[in-house]
Amino acid sequence: MTEFSVRVQDLRKIYYEEGRGEVRAVDGISFECRPGEIFGLLGANGAGKTTTLRMLATILKPTSGAAYVLQHEVTKEPEAVRRNLGFYSATTALYPRLTARETLDFFARINGYPADRVRERVEKLIARFGITEYANARVDRLSQGMKQKVSIARTVVHDPPVLIFDEPTVGLDVLNALEMQKVIAEFRAEGKAILFSTHIMSEAEKLCDRIAIVHRGRIHACDTFENLRAASGKRYLEDIFVHFIERANEAVALEKPSA
Amino acid sequence: MTNLDSNGPTKQRLAWNQIVTLYRYELRSALRERAIVINSILIPIFLYPLIMWVAFSGIMLVKWHSDSTQSRVVVQDWPREHPELRNRITREKRITLIEETNRFDPREISAARLDALVLFEPASGSASNLPGNFQVGITFDSSKDRSVAARERLESVINDYRREWLAREARKREISPEEWAGIHIDSKNVATKRQMGGFVLGMMLPILFVVMVAAGTFYPAIDCTAGERERNTWETLMSSGASRVNVIVAKYLYVTTFGTMAGILNLLAFAVTLKPIFAPLLKEAGTMLNFTVLPQSIPLIATGAVLLAGFVSAGMMIFAAFARTFKEGQAMIMPFYLIVMLPPIFLQTPGIQFSVPLSCVPVVNVTMMIRSALTGEFPMLQIAITFVASVLAIALCIRIAAYILKFEEVMIGNYNGSLKRFLRERFLAKPGRSMKGAHD
Repeated sequence: MTEFSVRVQDLRKIYYEEGRGEVRAVDGISFECRPGEIFGLLGANGAGKTTTLRMLATILKPTSGAAYVLQHEVTKEPEAVRRNLGFYSATTALYPRLTARETLDFFARINGYPADRVRERVEKLIARFGITEYANARVDRLSQGMKQKVSIARTVVHDPPVLIFDEPTVGLDVLNALEMQKVIAEFRAEGKAILFSTHIMSEAEKLCDRIAIVHRGRIHACDTFENLRAASGKRYLEDIFVHFIERANEAVALEKPSA
Repeated sequence: MTNLDSNGPTKQRLAWNQIVTLYRYELRSALRERAIVINSILIPIFLYPLIMWVAFSGIMLVKWHSDSTQSRVVVQDWPREHPELRNRITREKRITLIEETNRFDPREISAARLDALVLFEPASGSASNLPGNFQVGITFDSSKDRSVAARERLESVINDYRREWLAREARKREISPEEWAGIHIDSKNVATKRQMGGFVLGMMLPILFVVMVAAGTFYPAIDCTAGERERNTWETLMSSGASRVNVIVAKYLYVTTFGTMAGILNLLAFAVTLKPIFAPLLKEAGTMLNFTVLPQSIPLIATGAVLLAGFVSAGMMIFAAFARTFKEGQAMIMPFYLIVMLPPIFLQTPGIQFSVPLSCVPVVNVTMMIRSALTGEFPMLQIAITFVASVLAIALCIRIAAYILKFEEVMIGNYNGSLKRFLRERFLAKPGRSMKGAHD
């Protein structure tokens, strides 16, 4: 048994981009996430949150460093990693021509859920997320809220111990965003390790057990909300965030002349 | 700069239960997509037989119209010794003789007010030794169908008369018509009706077959690559527990299935509709043809469909691998689609044989093999080479596709370029500027 469900060690993602040259999208990030914990990655757009999570989901390959999901290393056992996590993001859409029920059946099977229990699992999730009424409707005929429910069910259909939610409330209305937050909290209560990225302060404050402030591919602070408050001397997460970002920028400015 | 390509992919095994699941859902999803169903199933069944029917009906209609058109002809200086010729031309229902009052002006033909002028003149030189001999000049406009038809009708009537007159003259001189005619040519066609039917099928079907297989793979190949990226389902699949290689194999099999299905459905549709469509149109010639395909040809044709679809699918997936949207996919695949169309066009060259060198050329070999099978010929060496060459070509294409998809940017759909740019970057790029490595 491992103590941490997710362990990331000095993870880096560097690539060359035409017009920009060498881009250090992730520059030495390390953190852990335990079962029953929501670990938040808080940062502005382009900070490196999504790249980090995509490396954990084995969609991108790290340039260096290591990342583990349970005992599986992302570059060495990518399939085992993917079978043990559910990945939800704005770019993980559903197959429009499959029904909600077929979608869940399909993802349960290709994620290696025991074939003899797939039907039971699918029906359970359909009932849990209130999908019954439109379970046999094609996904492209569902409303945004319905799709969201099916998408969450798709993420957890193989009952993975680790869940990744990359900016899951982007584009959702208030009610759907609240519903999403509620569901994520339920998964925590079930003992799942949850990685949650957002740039919405209130969400991070409300949901996350620990928060990592990410800026320019690095983590500049990582602790509970209360401890971040104490360390920064600020009351609101927004101010705390700005405090650490400014400190990071100052450090970069000081490094530059000597470089 | 870190070497971004330093880590190659780990070896992966094929998990057939996973491939079957992926394949089954790809098919199910595709069968609900109107564009795919229309292009891969309905068009092969209905459109091409329909097009052929419309085309042949059109040709017959034009021919009938042309046959029923009157040829307006002016004749000058009828030969006095041949009143029967005058009667015959006059009796030809499709020729209308225009009474000529003034000297004839050839511009009348160019202006399409007349179709031909016939000028009878006495024979000249040694030809004048035969009493009553004459020569005929026909003035017409070869750029006008109606004028050409007038010439053909006149020549036909005059030649018939000439043959009979010569035979009569020969008899007068106690020479038999056979001796007079000299060399006698008697052609005998030993081909059976079925062989003739097979020959006609072999001329038409391979081309349509390639067109159909390529059309059948076109939409599925784009749909399961660029289409998935455009719909954002690609990343959903990539973050699932399925291994990359299983995903690629399942997608390849799915595209190949649609190509094969399109090819076979098209052939079946043709086999069923050919006789009812062509027999009435071809009239007497139609009764000389039997469009039955030999039972032993069917497995070979089906194998040909699989081999062709396998090659075309792999080729299309190489091109489509770089596309991020459906539109990009269409633009990237089109050059390959056109290249695949070229070989069957060369097959129309008269006298082309299913030779050993041709059986080594992808696409050409399969179309030649199908043509042979339709005519009931089974050259085993060429068939064996075709099979081996096609399998090798497919393996090579799959290997290239797998190599391309090893690269992270291509795999995740972030690569901004085509196959051409990819090859340039891979083989001509400066060190350190190569593309990112890949995941498995």
